[in-house]
Amino acid sequence: MKAEMRQKLARESFAEKIRKVAQLIRLAKTFPHRNRLNHRPAAR
Amino acid sequence: MAINEPSDNLPLADVLRAANELVAAGLIEDWALGGALAAIYYVEPFTTYDADIFFISKDKGLTGGIPAIYAHLQAQGWQVEREHLLIRGFPVQFLAAHGLTEEDVRDAERIDYEGVSARIFRAEHIVAIAASVGRHKDLARIEQLLQQADLDKSRLENILQRHNLKLPKP
Repeated sequence: MKAEMRQKLARESFAEKIRKVAQLIRLAKTFPHRNRLNHRPAAR
Repeated sequence: MAINEPSDNLPLADVLRAANELVAAGLIEDWALGGALAAIYYVEPFTTYDADIFFISKDKGLTGGIPAIYAHLQAQGWQVEREHLLIRGFPVQFLAAHGLTEEDVRDAERIDYEGVSARIFRAEHIVAIAASVGRHKDLARIEQLLQQADLDKSRLENILQRHNLKLPKP
């Protein structure tokens, strides 16, 4: 992802970012293998 | 919604409200959201599976007041799963703050999240904690915060110096 796009995401409201985290968790549960392949070091 | 009914969104407001209630109940002195969710306040969202609440205990004994916190939250309907307490299926860890993390709680930023008053670790403190832990994911978090958060460089330098910490070399 481009740095500008990541910066834009970082500037979103905390509530919006928390909604996106919930989406990421749902995706990870739906596609666990794919998520492992795309595992990012910052994730915990 | 019942406290253990699963939610599509993260039940963060419930977590923060519960932490405030622990203060009101006299079980803890103060608290702040730390860990990955605190980092997300400053950077792009990423996957995380729990919330870390750091607290300053009123009980200065060995247990740091943890049993009373568990008992209080379990009475509210929270469930226990290993080191986590679960609300709506979302794991929350309550961690007694000491040293650097106690300073982080005392210096935490005040925020309002969905109408709930809360405190959250400052970005500079999250960087310092990550530098003190130093796992691969902590180094990645430092890089992310340096790139995306508006860090107060002098505050960061001050914290690092006082706790004898160094940022990893790029």
